[in-house]
Amino acid sequence: MILELKQVKTHIGQFRILQDITFAVPEGKVTVILGRNGAGKTTTLRSIMGLTPPTEGEILLDGKRIEGLPPHVIARKGVGFVPEDQAVFSALTVNENLRLAMRGRDQSAEERLTFVLDVFPDLKEKLSRKGGGLSGGQKQMLAIGRALVRDNRVLLVDEPSKGLAPIMVEKLARALRVIKDQTTVVLVEQNFALASAVGERYVIIDDGHTVREGILCELEQDRELLRRYLGISPANGERGRAG
Amino acid sequence: MGMGTFVNLTVNGLSTGMMIFLLASGLSLIFGLMGVLNFAHGSLFMLGGYTGVVVFAHSGSFILALVSAMLVGLLVGWVVERLTVRRVYGNAIAQILVTTGVMIVLNELVKAVFGPDIIATPVPPLLAGSWAIGSVILIKYRLFTLAVGLVVAVAVHLLLTKTRLGMVVRAGVENPEMVQALGINIRQVFSLVFAFGAALAALGGVMMAPAVGAVNPDMGLQNQMLAFIVVVIGGMGSFLGSALGSILVGLAGAYTAWFLPEASLAVNVLLMAVVLLLRPNGLFGMGGE
Amino acid sequence: MRAEWPGPSGWRGLLGRPGHYGWQEAKGLSLASGLPWLVVLILAALPLLISSYAVFNLMDQILILGVFAMSYDILLGYTGIVSFGHVLFFGTGAYTVAIILKHTGPGLGFLLLAVFGTVLISLVISLVIGYLSLRVKDVYYAMITLAFAELFAIIAEKWRAVTNGSDGFSFSIPHFLEDPTLFYYLILVFAVLTVILVRRFIHSPTGRVLLSIRENEKRAEFLGYNVIRFKLISTLVAGVVAGLAGIAWALQQAFVSTGVMATDKTIDALLMTTIGGTGTLYGAFIGSGLTNFASDRLSSLAEHYPLLQRWHLIFGLLYILIVLFFPGGILGFFRGKRWGRGHGAAERGYRRVKGERADGPVNGGGKD
Repeated sequence: MILELKQVKTHIGQFRILQDITFAVPEGKVTVILGRNGAGKTTTLRSIMGLTPPTEGEILLDGKRIEGLPPHVIARKGVGFVPEDQAVFSALTVNENLRLAMRGRDQSAEERLTFVLDVFPDLKEKLSRKGGGLSGGQKQMLAIGRALVRDNRVLLVDEPSKGLAPIMVEKLARALRVIKDQTTVVLVEQNFALASAVGERYVIIDDGHTVREGILCELEQDRELLRRYLGISPANGERGRAG
Repeated sequence: MGMGTFVNLTVNGLSTGMMIFLLASGLSLIFGLMGVLNFAHGSLFMLGGYTGVVVFAHSGSFILALVSAMLVGLLVGWVVERLTVRRVYGNAIAQILVTTGVMIVLNELVKAVFGPDIIATPVPPLLAGSWAIGSVILIKYRLFTLAVGLVVAVAVHLLLTKTRLGMVVRAGVENPEMVQALGINIRQVFSLVFAFGAALAALGGVMMAPAVGAVNPDMGLQNQMLAFIVVVIGGMGSFLGSALGSILVGLAGAYTAWFLPEASLAVNVLLMAVVLLLRPNGLFGMGGE
Repeated sequence: MRAEWPGPSGWRGLLGRPGHYGWQEAKGLSLASGLPWLVVLILAALPLLISSYAVFNLMDQILILGVFAMSYDILLGYTGIVSFGHVLFFGTGAYTVAIILKHTGPGLGFLLLAVFGTVLISLVISLVIGYLSLRVKDVYYAMITLAFAELFAIIAEKWRAVTNGSDGFSFSIPHFLEDPTLFYYLILVFAVLTVILVRRFIHSPTGRVLLSIRENEKRAEFLGYNVIRFKLISTLVAGVVAGLAGIAWALQQAFVSTGVMATDKTIDALLMTTIGGTGTLYGAFIGSGLTNFASDRLSSLAEHYPLLQRWHLIFGLLYILIVLFFPGGILGFFRGKRWGRGHGAAERGYRRVKGERADGPVNGGGKD
């Protein structure tokens, strides 16, 4: 298990957002976090990253506790983060956005940069373009690419398909399948079609609690579970969004 | 107003603008990056002025005065960030309040040591006097401040656009959280920028002293107010905006001082009001809140 | 004890449970409602015990500056905006009454005219500054008010024909105000009345909206409140009260100079409010009493210890410590001790920055 969360509780101000989050992420797999809007998915990722530090509980990376460390230390230990709003630096060029994430100028970093530009050829053409001038899909690619140029052990990706055109979602799915050979991925995704296309394991979060985890292809059969926690009735079309 | 007067006023205005720029650019950068409106910034300007006076009086070297003022600014800025500002990041009101406290303490310390009255500050002999070209009289010291201001502006611009640190700062202005998530210790960058901004302010102060002929404990708040007008005009967080705003404020002040000295601040306040009416976020401001 | 700032989402329940704050206040009132009246009673009995002119003088100043600091608290403690130009209302009030009485005569009618004029001018200035600055970020209010206050200070300095600049001028006050005991009682009544009126304002529906803006501006906006308009109302009320304090100050001194327009006075109001306790109203008077009493004592000691001339240094340090570690000030600290933490407005500290961007590095707002 590369990443483990044990009874994580996170408060934001007076709000108890996470009450008991417990799950494990096996190395080299894509784990999808599912749940309704407001269930605590984003906060779970942010808690792992140290951006909203947990008030209680343990988070282990490679068996070592990382909760309570500042975000940049957690990032340096090999956790990459692609936030919901992508957070592409609009005043920086695409190249600068990528370079900012690279620590050293060593060989392996350059190799990863080449890999990123192979996976996302759209970015290659726009290297000197300002981040603010990119389309939504390109921003998403840049955000993922920016996380990939770092030598990450785990990549946390928050709702990459949100607001993207179907054609971009397909591109994204293809890219994620390539990426998962390189690194472990924790994916928050409401688009169940995308989730089941790339994911292997799942975790369901509801009202700040983890309620179920397991293998994704088994979940696809469990209509009762899907309806109850995700509001999806697969009969109504497989691209149904939860929430 | 003849040609000579016009050139003279323009040089004076630009030179004053440059010194205000040294104050305003740091203020704007600190706000842009950390969301901190540093009310002690003017005090660092004043502290620079006093350091310059003391060092120049003892050593006779203006260069040494400039350098030591910057060092004092750097050090005091760093300490202030560590002891006070750092504790209230994320709370705009508490930041204004605590930096105001620092302003009070620094001003009172200076008054306790040097007394509340003005101290006359001569122009260094090497830079004293002026050149006359026809009817145009160019004051050497004003040209010197103009040159130093320009060099610093270009250097800071290059630092911001060409270096990795500059890249981090520009990214941090947009989204400090994401910068952290990329493994960069933004707190360190904050301390650095805060101290660096303080050093620029102190440099402004040490250059301003001979230009106006004196230092006094109130010079901090007075010039800080001009810097505020500059950043409101130029847009908070914009380096280019501070540069343009400073030139506008410097020139407007210089020209009105010739026609109607009493109205020179009024013109700047009016300028600010007009900008606020037409472009509430300043000429180069970034979006709404 | 470390300061705890409310989370980015503000304080839960204030809007979720309408009237919650009022309930808390009512509970506080039942425990301590007697105390302010007891203080008033003691202050009213003071002339029976002491009849020293110096004591009346000091008490007058404490009460007047207390009212001024309380008007500042409306902005800082109840709306969550910092003004650096509050003195401009104080100074406007002082100059209005001084100029009118000097050019007419010490009649009660002219005094009322001055009050009316002050209210009118304060409203106009508040509207202009508020309209210019409140549409932008909150911090703009701090900068823009400072610029306007400097402008007014310079007008007061340069328009010597009317103001006589920094030398100032004296004027005759209505005869009945010349008796120090009577004047003291009038000032006491003035202070009590303004406290009652400002309390009413704070606990009115408008005041509740202001508090909710202070706690979470975004949410107040979301609920359909016109945030700018409410902030404007707050600055209007604060400006008028400050203007009235300025009138009282001028009458007490029977003299005005540019000192009544100096930014130092704004900073004093900030110190008094913060030290006494923001968001408490009474804290302003505690702060005023403490700083004015101390400055009075310290200036007499300063003859022997010159460093004490810089008594602001001590208060500046005290103020920094309070902002960092006891955001509720003196009153908030004691209230917190007696009634547990986290209830009064003061204990919750100042409102967080509303642009969530800035608090990222510490603990950004969650999106889930």
